[in-house]
Amino acid sequence: MHVLLVEDDPELAQSLRSALDGDGHSVELAVDGETAEKLGRDGRFDVIVLDRMLPKRNGIEVLSNLRGAGVSTPVLILSALGEEEHRVEGLDAGSNDYLGKPFSTRELLARVRSLWHGRDKSAPPVKLIVGDMEMDLLARTVLRAGKKIELQPREFRLLEYLMRHSGEVVTRTMLLEKVWDYHFDPQTNVIDVHISRLRSKIDKDFSETLLHTVRGSGYRLEA
Amino acid sequence: MRASLSAVFRTTTFRLALAQAAVFILFAAALLSYVYVTTAVQLTREAEQAANGEFAALEQIYYQGGIKRLNQEVIERAAASGQLLYLLASESGAVISGDFSALPQTPAGAGERAAFTFVAGTQNAPERRRAHGRVGRLLHGPILLVARDMGEARAIVRRITQAVWTGAILGLLLSLVSGILASRQAVRRIQDITRTTREVMAGDLTRRAPTRVAGDEFDVLASGLNAMLIRLEKLVLSSRNAGDSIAHDLRTPLARLRQRLEAALECHPNSETDREALRAAAQETDAVLATFNAVLRLARLQTATNWQFEPVDVSAIVEELAEFYGPVAEEQNLHFTAEVAVGLFAKGDRSLINQALANLVENALKYTPEGGRVHVRAHRRADGLIETSIADSGPGIPMEDRERVMERFVRLEAARTTPGAGLGLSLVVAVADLHEGRFVLEDGLSGAAGPGLRAVLTMPAP
Repeated sequence: MHVLLVEDDPELAQSLRSALDGDGHSVELAVDGETAEKLGRDGRFDVIVLDRMLPKRNGIEVLSNLRGAGVSTPVLILSALGEEEHRVEGLDAGSNDYLGKPFSTRELLARVRSLWHGRDKSAPPVKLIVGDMEMDLLARTVLRAGKKIELQPREFRLLEYLMRHSGEVVTRTMLLEKVWDYHFDPQTNVIDVHISRLRSKIDKDFSETLLHTVRGSGYRLEA
Repeated sequence: MRASLSAVFRTTTFRLALAQAAVFILFAAALLSYVYVTTAVQLTREAEQAANGEFAALEQIYYQGGIKRLNQEVIERAAASGQLLYLLASESGAVISGDFSALPQTPAGAGERAAFTFVAGTQNAPERRRAHGRVGRLLHGPILLVARDMGEARAIVRRITQAVWTGAILGLLLSLVSGILASRQAVRRIQDITRTTREVMAGDLTRRAPTRVAGDEFDVLASGLNAMLIRLEKLVLSSRNAGDSIAHDLRTPLARLRQRLEAALECHPNSETDREALRAAAQETDAVLATFNAVLRLARLQTATNWQFEPVDVSAIVEELAEFYGPVAEEQNLHFTAEVAVGLFAKGDRSLINQALANLVENALKYTPEGGRVHVRAHRRADGLIETSIADSGPGIPMEDRERVMERFVRLEAARTTPGAGLGLSLVVAVADLHEGRFVLEDGLSGAAGPGLRAVLTMPAP
């Protein structure tokens, strides 16, 4: 997909660009806020990755101006200011996701993909299907190979998030933020524990594994 | 804010106004006495002088025209309306002519000075009056008396006395009223300044005390305070900006470092040793960043002033945290229980409370040995405060070290030697301070490992 990368640090920009290239995106680079806004107004990008601190015009300003001009391209804000208040400020200005610096390349790639996929789903589906697993969002039931799987409410939400992003890598931080709405770094392996519990419910009795661990990145639900 | 009357009575200005009124009363009394005495003496002296003059004139007439002429003159002058009174009597004291039917009694030994009381006015409304003058025997025996009716003079003295009293009372009232008004004004100005300092302490650094162009002492005080506040605001802002720019300046190179390490790992290092070294370096970078983030977050908690506090559902937060960490506890073979009262609300920031409590639960999980217990409890205390406690059966912290552990915030250098834990508790302390709450460490659930630890966070209800 077509990504507009806005980053003023040349070395970081280069490294992000090659990472996005490597993941199969075509990348255009802007190094200041003014250029970013000009390019962003075209609306020809699928995703905009926007640094918060920029020369000439800061990221939040660029974003508000774009949203004000009716540009709905999904925006991921990168910031050295990872604090809650800045995150909220970014989301208020109309960003779709917010990533504090520093981040791993994988985290960034996972989020860019997730933004693009998230945009595809215009009408909320009633049923999510991955392989032989079926989730009914209205009845709040999960069937695998026709067999009912009992889940706790939070497990249901965790699985729902994984199913909505099936085929994509989701990181631990993404799960922490999107499923639990927590914005701190746990010092324990708490996400892994929750995943392993979910795995024992959905994968244990079946020959095919759906929930995969992606080493060094996170997890992927895939048939 | 209204300047209440009791506040007015307590002010220095009002007390000064009272003292001033007392001095005023004394002064009025002194003035009154002085005016009374001088006026009375002066009027008597004037009366005597006038009477003396008249006496001398009549004496002259007597010498020139004899008793007949004098008698005629006395009759004429007595008939004329005036302030002077006359009496002519024979050598034996029998009245020949004049204003009185008998010779008035004059005090003995007064010489020729006459001072007496007589009755005047109509028969229905008699009026006792004083008169001062001169009485004396003329050549060959007849007695002549000339005196001035002091009635009118006394009225003047009385009027002056009245005027002074009225003035004194009016002055007293005026000085009281002006004292109250002046002190009310003073109280109001002071209250303005007090309100400003309270608002600044509550975190609004942009507040300034109102000043007027008049430039009185209060304005001098207020503008001094404002100058101080401007300086304070600049300092706080500059330290905040310094924090932000440090964040930007250091995090970006650290991000680069991380990218490079990741890129090197991706490029399939030659040996397993290289791979391990790279992975260790990446972990080390992450640790540096975590500490760095924690320090920045603490600094921000202490300097940020724009927190939007709202009622936060503490019950929900604690229950979710228990649900979140329960499986980890189970994994570590710990007996994990939670006892959460419903409908507990505190005024605060949800994300901060979440983070502080998560730190405490993680500490408990980290330090409690296998087979131990962790108990989370949230309830409303009898005094209305919302208390959340996390008790464990770990080794605990010795009594003498508990304060030190809390103090780590000011002794960051010491905290750095034990990564993670030190800053975690400091963050809880900072969050408690921010919420006007309290954070204490107590003995927990005693077990094989020691007395255990109970971390208690109390916050006021909204």
